Amino acid sequence: MKYRLPNSIASSQDLTALILEIKDYAKWFEHESIKLHVNVKHVSKSPELSPSATELIHELSQKKSMNQANLDEMIDMLKEYSLKSPTVTVTLASIPTNNIKKIIVNWFRDNISPNALIDFRFNATILGGIVVHVGSKILDMSFRRQILANKSIIPEVLRRV
Amino acid sequence: MDSNTLQILLMINVFLVGIFTTIAIRHAYRHFRPEQNNETPKPTHPKPKQIGLPPEVKEQLLLSSQEHFKDVLNHSAKRLEKDLRNTAAKLNKQLDKVGTNILLNEMKRYRMDLEMLRKQAETVINNAQADVVKHQAELKDSLAKQQTELETKMKSEIEDEKKYIIKQIDTKISDSIASFLTETMQHNVDLGAQIPYITSILESHKAEIIKEIDNEV
Repeated sequence: MKYRLPNSIASSQDLTALILEIKDYAKWFEHESIKLHVNVKHVSKSPELSPSATELIHELSQKKSMNQANLDEMIDMLKEYSLKSPTVTVTLASIPTNNIKKIIVNWFRDNISPNALIDFRFNATILGGIVVHVGSKILDMSFRRQILANKSIIPEVLRRV
Repeated sequence: MDSNTLQILLMINVFLVGIFTTIAIRHAYRHFRPEQNNETPKPTHPKPKQIGLPPEVKEQLLLSSQEHFKDVLNHSAKRLEKDLRNTAAKLNKQLDKVGTNILLNEMKRYRMDLEMLRKQAETVINNAQADVVKHQAELKDSLAKQQTELETKMKSEIEDEKKYIIKQIDTKISDSIASFLTETMQHNVDLGAQIPYITSILESHKAEIIKEIDNEV
């Protein structure tokens, strides 16, 4: 079974954090399963999960039965994503809000790859737009580049004014 | 009259003058030294018989002979002088005539030569004038051509310089505005407002991104 990463999980760091959370949850789930199996009444409190982890576990419980094997399978799959998913570095002109991050991540996962990992950086000198680093290539779609590339048009525009 | 005829006439005249001079000298010689002259010719025939004349008659005859000889001599001298004068006058006249002819001929030849030289000089001057006019026309054409070329070149250079300066000004303006924009805009970034633009340019570069990711994989 394939899982689509939540849009809040953008970068490889986010994914690593998610894996750790799921691992914690799996560990707790294993303990609770053993307790249930040996009829221990005491139930420990479940670890606090982020909304992303909660969403994934909820998805797992809806699609499959919640057991240790499926949790391990999900962890392995997330690890595989971490290793094999395409990573794109996006540079913006300011620090992106979560909402902006989600929009951009959503676009990449809808259009490029469903499990693409996006690392966000910011650089005010690009003024605006976006710079995408993919593999060895840099796609500079920033305002700065466009201004510098089209500065020969400026006198023409000024003449028209 | 040509110069050969003139020379012949002169020779004849000189010859006649020589004859007359010889005669005059002989007469004078016989007149002043009669006894020697009487001795020189030796009679081949027997001496004539001496006629006995009285001394007064002899004296009278001698005087009359002397007078007569003197008259003859004077007459001859006068004739000779007259002939000499006439000859000299004729010679002068002839010489004048010859000289005049020579002078006229020489003058004529001189005039002809002068005329020829004048014509030659005139031809040379005309040719030179024609050459000068032609050269002037060529120079004028050349100057006009050069002026046109220079004007064209100058216009072209001015136009090039103008374009170059305009280009430099444009470059400076572009650099200034670009620098101004990059300096000022980086302090007022509204990323939220850029999202539609960012998604649209991502859409336009979608194929490139997919290609790169495929290459990476």
